[in-house]
Parts: sequence; structure tokens; C-alpha cells
Amino acid sequence: MLAQVIPAADAIPVNWWWFQILLLLTFLLHLILMNFILGGSLITLWDTFKKKPAPEGNSIPTLIALTINLGVPPLLFVQVLFGNFFYTSSVLLAGPWIMVIPVLIITYYGAYIYVFKKTKSPVFSRVSLLIASIFMLFIAFMLVNNNTLLLTPERWGIYAENKSGWFLNLSEPTLWPRYLHFIIGAVAIAGLGKAGFYHFKKVTPPDLQKQEKQRGLKIFAFATMIQVVIGIWFWLSLPEPIWKHFMGGNTFATFWMMLGILITLAGIFTATRGLFVATISIALFLMINMIIIREIVRHQYLKGAGAPSALAVTGETGSLIMFLAVFLIGIAMIYYMIKLIFKPKHT
Amino acid sequence: MNYPIWELPSLGGGTLIAIIAVTHAFVAHFAVGGGLFLVLTEIKARRNNNPQLLGYVRSHTKFFLLLTMVFGGITGVGIWFIISLVQPAATSFLIHQFVFAWATEWVFFIAEIIALLIYHYRFDKMNPKDHIAIGWLYFIFAWLSLFVINGILGFMLTPGQWLETRDFWQGFFNPSFWPALVFRTGIALSIAGMFGLITATFLKEKALRQYLYTLNTRWLFFPFILIAITALWYLAILPSDAEANLLRFNPAVKPYFTIWVITTALIFLTGITFLVKLPLTFQRFTVFILVLTGLGWMAGFEYTREIARKPYVIYGYMYSNSIKHSDMDSVNRTGFLKSAKWSDIKEVTADNMLDAGNELMRMQCLSCHTLGGNNDIVSRTSHLTERGMEAKITGLGSFSEYMPPFAGTGEEKEALAAYIMREIHGKEAPESYQAKVKEETVTVPPFNDNNKYVLLAWNDLGMHCISDNSDYWSFLPPANTLWAQLIRRGPKPQVISQGVEIHYEVEEGYRHPEKHVDFWKNAQKTYGADLETGIGLAGKGLAGSMDPHTHQAYIAKLIPVIPYRDDGTYNPYPLFEITARDENTGETLAATKVVAPTSTEMGCRNCHQGGWRVNDYSGIADMTAENILNVHDRIEGTQLMYEVESGNPVLCQRCHADPAIGAAGKKEVLNFSTAIHGFHAHYLKEMNGDACNLCHPSMPSGNTQCLRGRHASLGLKCTHCHGKLEDHGLALIKNEARFGKPRAAKLSKNLQPRSVETFADVVPRQPWLQEPDCISCHTNFDIRSRKTAPTGFNNWVDGSNSLYRNRTDTHGVMCAACHGAPHAEYYAINKYGEDRDNIQPLQYMPIAGTIGTKGNCKVCHTKEMEVNGHHRNMLKPYPRIKEPAETTVFE
Repeated sequence: MLAQVIPAADAIPVNWWWFQILLLLTFLLHLILMNFILGGSLITLWDTFKKKPAPEGNSIPTLIALTINLGVPPLLFVQVLFGNFFYTSSVLLAGPWIMVIPVLIITYYGAYIYVFKKTKSPVFSRVSLLIASIFMLFIAFMLVNNNTLLLTPERWGIYAENKSGWFLNLSEPTLWPRYLHFIIGAVAIAGLGKAGFYHFKKVTPPDLQKQEKQRGLKIFAFATMIQVVIGIWFWLSLPEPIWKHFMGGNTFATFWMMLGILITLAGIFTATRGLFVATISIALFLMINMIIIREIVRHQYLKGAGAPSALAVTGETGSLIMFLAVFLIGIAMIYYMIKLIFKPKHT
Repeated sequence: MNYPIWELPSLGGGTLIAIIAVTHAFVAHFAVGGGLFLVLTEIKARRNNNPQLLGYVRSHTKFFLLLTMVFGGITGVGIWFIISLVQPAATSFLIHQFVFAWATEWVFFIAEIIALLIYHYRFDKMNPKDHIAIGWLYFIFAWLSLFVINGILGFMLTPGQWLETRDFWQGFFNPSFWPALVFRTGIALSIAGMFGLITATFLKEKALRQYLYTLNTRWLFFPFILIAITALWYLAILPSDAEANLLRFNPAVKPYFTIWVITTALIFLTGITFLVKLPLTFQRFTVFILVLTGLGWMAGFEYTREIARKPYVIYGYMYSNSIKHSDMDSVNRTGFLKSAKWSDIKEVTADNMLDAGNELMRMQCLSCHTLGGNNDIVSRTSHLTERGMEAKITGLGSFSEYMPPFAGTGEEKEALAAYIMREIHGKEAPESYQAKVKEETVTVPPFNDNNKYVLLAWNDLGMHCISDNSDYWSFLPPANTLWAQLIRRGPKPQVISQGVEIHYEVEEGYRHPEKHVDFWKNAQKTYGADLETGIGLAGKGLAGSMDPHTHQAYIAKLIPVIPYRDDGTYNPYPLFEITARDENTGETLAATKVVAPTSTEMGCRNCHQGGWRVNDYSGIADMTAENILNVHDRIEGTQLMYEVESGNPVLCQRCHADPAIGAAGKKEVLNFSTAIHGFHAHYLKEMNGDACNLCHPSMPSGNTQCLRGRHASLGLKCTHCHGKLEDHGLALIKNEARFGKPRAAKLSKNLQPRSVETFADVVPRQPWLQEPDCISCHTNFDIRSRKTAPTGFNNWVDGSNSLYRNRTDTHGVMCAACHGAPHAEYYAINKYGEDRDNIQPLQYMPIAGTIGTKGNCKVCHTKEMEVNGHHRNMLKPYPRIKEPAETTVFE
């Protein structure tokens, strides 16, 4: 019955592993930046309302630019591998989904207003940041929602009653734990980002620098502790065959999940000890770990109905080669441009 | 078909795409052109050591960043979002086909962003040379991202050889790639000037402001040279169908094309004002107008480009309703509802017909049309009946090639038509009508062996139709032609052609046609003829003398008899008394009666709505006549409705040549029969005689039923002689194609011949002058076996003189004299009295059959004959006349 509604998938040019790896890599980068802006906005918002200086907040607009830009590749590759699911779930959520676009525009401009009007109109500035933060929470919610609905074709029957796209799939059992897990995770990583900001940037007085850096690490530690609870809630809200997959059902999955939990505890430990470099290394690995678990979950959901390995391959490699060549040149040019930033100016 | 549809009945997904895409394109072109503007102006500022100008560049950069990176960038993602929602099938296809092109474009994006961020944030903190290098890099990366998206966008319009080879590079570097790239580069530069003028108006120093006005106006204007040249190149590269649709046939393009032209003029007008010193407030206002105009210009261009691509979203590959061109055959066979994954209904039944129609509407039509919004379907269908709607759906993609063809079975088409008419327009389900016909008895004139003469009379065509709403338009006036031949009986019968006068007179009740039709009121304006009331176009009235004809016969041309009787009844078979008198003595030599068939049952209203003008099934109602003119005006760009409203009814043959009324028409326009049949064939496909019945007075349940002769009673339909409508149209079109008439090719293009293999096998024919002949089926005058369906199609006689109705045998007797008028060949069965058309056989034999049948040669010869005198196979044992209906049903 279900197979009848899942749209036929289009063929891919090269082996699906290319897209899977690229998806995970680019998603990681996007996630790091997204955590900075989402978590960072929330933390900065807290700080500004507490009347504390938050100079790291000035980087939010630039980080938004990069977050959006780095959101493009994972969105592209998820459509290549799971497009027939993704487009369908998007249509079912069409109304709020398309609202992401104007909401994102307002968010982005809001962040600029926050920075530009900080001194001249502090109230306007704070309100802008508040709106931007709320809107970011909405965008995150829609992304989580869409990516969840795409996994559950058995819930697509809602279309029979609701063809106008104003649907939020609120009765999906994994929705809230997943959403909260990502939001709290964003706060945690943003805390690390804050610590990193104060690790690299010299701020006066030096006490403030050390204090803020430690605060950042504390935010990470505290948020990560909450994450353990929410994470377990999320894990167990998954359908039984899937959560069991990580509890002995599959060797690699189980090992990987256990590793993740161990790393998490290690990270909490190093953060509470104020060890920045150790914590950030652990956090990076933790993010990689979590992203892979997320992908395993996705494959388990779609097993049989739409495994990427079943996609037809056209064997068209020319464009891949072009992309790789351009990518290398692009990296080189970006490297060159960034080097120019650090070149001292002659008078 | 594959994906669920996001229902936006009033707004329309297409409108949403348009809003997001046009605003994005406008700002994105600025993002490219503005990049070049920034770096070149910076170079100029530094070279001339102009800190003021450099300050302008700095502030313009901030403006540039805030506009292009935020709004421009996100609306770009917005396009991606909205097309995935409105057209997921095509989006999925493009994503999978061009994933690495998009990945490449992303590399350019990220390099672009980084460059711009550096350019802005490090404006004064870098070495000028390095800063300028960053500026150049920004522009190069921006232009390269345009390069990539241009390839994909162009592919949608002109996939070129990719359609055969599926090769990525041929798809990317497609036929419109280079013209579009240069065209868009020109646009980018011009828009840079537009936005430069905005920031210039915010400058405080007058001199600098004026300098930048001049500079930016140059950026605004000069690229138009490039735009104009590449526009022509772009147009030349379009596939010929797309070009034809764009420039001629798709009415939807008109408003956008107009916007494009007007905004181009406005851009120049508003731009020029900046070369003159004017108050600042005025200029701030003007720049605002200029930018809005620029947005309008962009909308005009992008919309025109989109329309050129219809009916496809990917030309030649996928239609706008997301059905693949290659899937059409299987969908038509299996049924659309069964093939569509997200359809609630899988099959049309009597109970779910309207719901099925709703599904079909949603899934095939609402991808482009709305209900009451942009491209509204309601106003486009309000002038049709349900049958007409079905016909219109049949014609989609056939004549109106900018529409995709309907995908689905015949039942699904009916369901869709029913849904549109009954649910959306709230019309009643159509009822079939059964005309109430009052039979009349006919007194057969007397005849016995003492009579020395046999008078034979018949109507030339066996049916004459009148287009009865002459206040609006006319193409067939009241004009019945009667023939007569007088034969002196004897062992050697003689056809008499002198010394006699043949008089004709219509029966009571028909003698004042001017009381019932407006033909005479409008005759001067339509036919250019100054006619006395009651007199026809050849000067004949309802009674008078017949004129001699070279065929040893007598003829009365174009008698204006009509089917409306003075007592209010309708009978399309009025009787004429024909009397032959000695010219000198006045003695009556012979008398008979004959029917002059004349009907106003023209079925335009079956599709074009409006009802009937007279008594429920005759004449053309005003609404119908108007609907038809409006359609003609819309499709052909004529002003016929305006002419009629100004008091000048239209004669169709003013433009469309027609041998039937001797009109020369206009040289480059198709003749009338070709135009009307060739056009309608697109809408009435896969039908048999029922297609003819929709327009001609041959509907069995109608009030005429003109196909009433012997062939009809054997089960033959119009199509057995004249060909099925597609074939009928193609033969006429092929004849016109020989004169190189431009519309011939378009009309023949999507018509599939039914009884021959290809168009090449169709024999061209002139209307009215070439028809099939008896010998087309009765080879050697044999009776034809009923085992196979006959067809007269493609077996035309050479010309008018060889037509059945114009021929004689070697003795000078006209074929129709003995066999009866075409369509009523003996014996005929008339709806208004079975033997109304068989008067002369009953008078002279008395058997209802061919004159002389069953050994009755003595009618003229006064004795039995043993030789086939007139044609082969005359004398042979005949089956019983009027055998019970052994009607064979032929296809």
C-alpha cells in the first residue's frame, strides 16, 4: 500500500556513497555554524537582557551568511539520496515550510539590526535579536519536522484530509525529543564557541576573558548533561526495532552509540575541568558520532522503502570531476583570500 | 502524477514561483553586475586619488552586501523551496541530473560570500591592490555562479541534443546557453546602474552626486545594445514551436510582452532625467520609479521566457503538469487516475464521476491554472457546454500547442468536463434532446401510361443548411438549387431541352421567408447584394421559371426557401410543385413534386453554448454567435465582434475563399471548408459520424436527419464517403498546403490520419468540387459486398464536372434524375413522412426506389429493356425493395 504512494526516485550520476559522504561532511560544517548562530543567539540574548557585554554577538550576521551557505550542500545531497521522500514531506508541510524563507530573511536582517543598532537604539537592537532567535527556533523546528516526516511514509495519509499544506505533524512521537535534543545541543556547542571566541580574541580586562571562556565551557557542560537525558528520551521514542538496533540489534550501531555516550561523559568531565582544547576536540568527535547515528536511524527508517543503495546509477562521472576540480580551485582561492586578510597593510 | 499536489486553488503555485523568482532574479543580476561596478569604480577612485568617490564605493558596498547577500541570497534558496513544492517532479529531475553543476555553483557561492565579506569588512584595512583583487574575485565568482545557473535554466527551455543522448555536457551547454548568458550579463550591468542611482541619490555632495548620476546612467543604458542584439540571437535559437507559440498563438504572453516593452521605454525615460539637474526629492522619487520599472522589466522578460517554454517544464521531456512526454501513451491507455500515485480515486464510475473530475482537475490543470486567480480556468471555460468542454480538452496540445495534451482515458476526459461544467460552473447535466417531429402525408401526383412525358426533379445537394443568425455572421444563405429533366416517353425516349417552360413553386406557408429570417435585412452588408425581399442571390424567388442548362436540363439556382412556416411550425423539407408546360400553347405536359431540403439545425450550440434561436432546435442563438466570434477574435487577433457591434455583420467568406458561394477570400487565408474542418478536427478526434452530427443537421435525434438515403438505411455514415473528420480535414489542408498557406502546416501537424498510414498518403481535395463518386465504392457499378466497411475517402473525382450531382450518362440523362439527390438517394426515409423524398418513384412506378428499378424501364421506354443502356449492371435480380432493416453496423 505504502509503496504505491512513495514517488519513484530519479537516477543518480555516480555511486551513492559519494553523496552520502558529502552529505555527512557538509552537514557537519552546517551544524557547527548553525549551533553557533542558534545557540549563540540564545546565549547572547540572555547576556544582553542581563545587561552583560556580548562582543561575540557581532559575528552573528557573518556566521548566518556562512550557515545558510553551508546549508545548501546538505539540502542538495539529501534531495539526491532521499528526494522522493523529502519533496513529499515538504508538500505535506508546504505552508509552514515555505514560511521559512521570509522568516529567514527577517532573521538575517534582524541580526544585522542587532549589531548596527547596539549603541544607538539598544532596545530596538535587543528586540531584533529576540525576534531573530525566535525565528531561528521556528526554522529549526521546520527542518526537524520535515526531516522527520520524510522518514514516516505511513503518516502521509494526512494528505487525504489536508491538501493545503497547513500541517505540523505534531503527533509524531519523536518530534519533540528530537527538536529539543538539537536545540539544547546548539546551546552546548555555542557555549564552546563562546569559549573559543575568548580563547583566541584578546579582550580587556584579562579577567573578563578568562571568566567568559570558563562560562562558555560551563554552558557546554551543563547543556550536555541535559542532553544525556533528552538524548535517551529521543532514543527511546524511536520505533522499537530502530532503538533496539542501537541496543544490541546491530554490532556497529551499538558500539558507535556506546562510544558516543562515553565521549559525552568525557566531554562533560573536561568541560567542568575548564580544559578548552580537550573539550573542543571531544565535541567535534561527538558531533561526528551523532551525525552518523542520525544517518543510521534514517537508513533504518527507510530500509526497504527507499534505500539509497537501490538508486539507479547513470555513470555520468564528467560532472563529478568538474566539481572536484572546481572545488579544489575554490578552496585554493578562499585560502588565498583569507591569507590576504592577515596580510599587514602598508601605509 | 508521482507527487502529492499542494492545493492553492486561488493563488496558484505558479504565481508564488513568479513572485519569488522575479524578485530574486532582479537582485541576483545586481549581485553580478554590481560587483563589476564596485571594483571598477574603486579602481577609478584610487587611480584619480578621489577619496570622495572611494567613500561612495565603501557605502555602496554596505548597501550591496545588505541587499544581495541577505535578500538576494535567501530568495535564491526561496526559488529552490518553492519549485520543490509546486513542481517536485521536475525539481527532482533537475537536481539529480545537475547535482554536480549545482555543487559547482555552490563553490562559487561560498567564494563569492567570503570575497564580499572581506571586501566590505576589510575595506580600509587592506592594501589597495589586494582589496581590488578581492573585488575582482568577487565579480568573477558571481559571474561564474550566473554561468552555472544559466546552463540549467537554459536546459529547461532548449535541452537540445540531450533529448537523444542524455549527455550532461550537451544538456548544460545547450542551444540557448550562450545567447542567454550574454543577454543576462547585459541585464546585470544595466541593473547595476539602476541600483547605483539609488545610492547616488543619498549622497550629500552635489558634484559627486551628479558625477555618479552620469556614471550610473551609462551603466544603465549602454548594456541595452548588448541586450538588444542578444535578444534577437536568443529568439533565433528557440525551437520553432516555442517561437510560434510565443509570437503568435499563446494569448497569455500578450500582457507580459506589453509590460516588457513599456518598462523598457520607461527605463530610458526615467534614466534620462538623471542627466539633467533636477531637485533631489524629485530624483529620489524617480529612482524609486526606475527600480520598480526595472523589477517590472525583469518580470516581463522572465515571464515571457517561461511562456515560451510551455507546454513543458523541461522542453520535450516533461510537461508543466509533471507528466513525462514519454509516459503519455501508457497513461492514456492505463488511465491517469490509475497511474497517479496520490489520487484518491483510481477509476471513474457512474457514482464518483464528479469527484474523479475533481482529482483530474487538481492533478493536471491546477499546476498552471487557478480558480478565479491568475490564469483563471473559470473565465476560460464559461462559454462552453459540457460537450464543448470535452472537445476543448481533446484539442489541448493539438491546436493550442502551448497546452499539454490531456492525459487519460475517454471516461476520464468526460469526468473532467463534467466536473468543470457542473461543479465549477454550476450547470445542469446535459440532457439529450429528441426533436418532436410531426409527420405529414404527401399526395403523390398522378401518372398513367397515357402520360407522354416523365418529369424528373431533384435538389442538387440533397441538403442545404442555412447559418441562421445573419445579424452576427453568415456563411450559408438561404439558397436551394433545383434541377429538372423532362423526358418524352417512347421506344427511344428523348430528353427535352427546348420548347418547354419548367415552372416551380413552393407549397403554401413558405412563400414569405422574409417574415422569419433577417437575411434580407443584412444581405447588402454580408453578401454585398441588393436583394428584393424573397428573392435569392441568383435572382430566383419562391416561385418562377427554371432556366435551361447545358446538360439538357433545367435549373433554378439559390431559391431562398427556409424551413420556417408561416404557421410557426418547422419542416426542413418543403415541397415544390414542378410543372412542365409547352412554351407556345401553355399546355401542361407533366407535373411532379420534389423536396427542397433546407435546414437551420446548425449544431454550433452543442459546444459553443447558447441554445437555439428558434423553437428548441433550429437557428443559431445570439449567444452562440457571439461566443464563436469571440473565440475567433481571441485566436486570430481579429476584431469581428467589434465589427458586429458597430452594425456590420460578418461574412466568413470575406476572408475564407469558398467555391460554394463563389467567394475569392483572401489569398493567404485558408478556404472556408479547410479552416472550419481542419480547426475543429483537433477538437473532435477519434469519432465517426457522430462528429459530423455535432454540427451538420444529421443528428438522428435532431429535427432534420439529413442523411436519409439508401446508403444511410444500410448503416453507412457520413464518414464512409467523406472520411472521418481528421482525414476529411487533412485532405483539405493538404490541398491548401500546395499553395503554401502558412496555417496549413500548423493545422495538419497534430492530426493523425485514420484510414491511411501517414499524411503523405492523403490525397488532396478541393472543397465542394471534389467528392467521392459512386465508382469509388461500386467499382464497375457492382453492388458492393457488405463484408468490409466501404470508404470513399481518398477516391475523389477530378473536378466539379465529374461529380455525381453534375454528371450525365451517355444519353444525356443526369445520374441524379434517376437515383435521386445526394444524401437522399432512392429510396430515402424521411423523418417528416417516410416517402417524402420518394415522390417521383412512387408517382411513376409506383415503387420507392431508383427510377426504372425492378424492370421498370418502361417508365421512359414504354417497354421492358434487355440491355444495360445507361450503365453497367442495371438489369439484375434485385433484392426486395424495402427489406427489413438489415443494417450492417460499419465502423
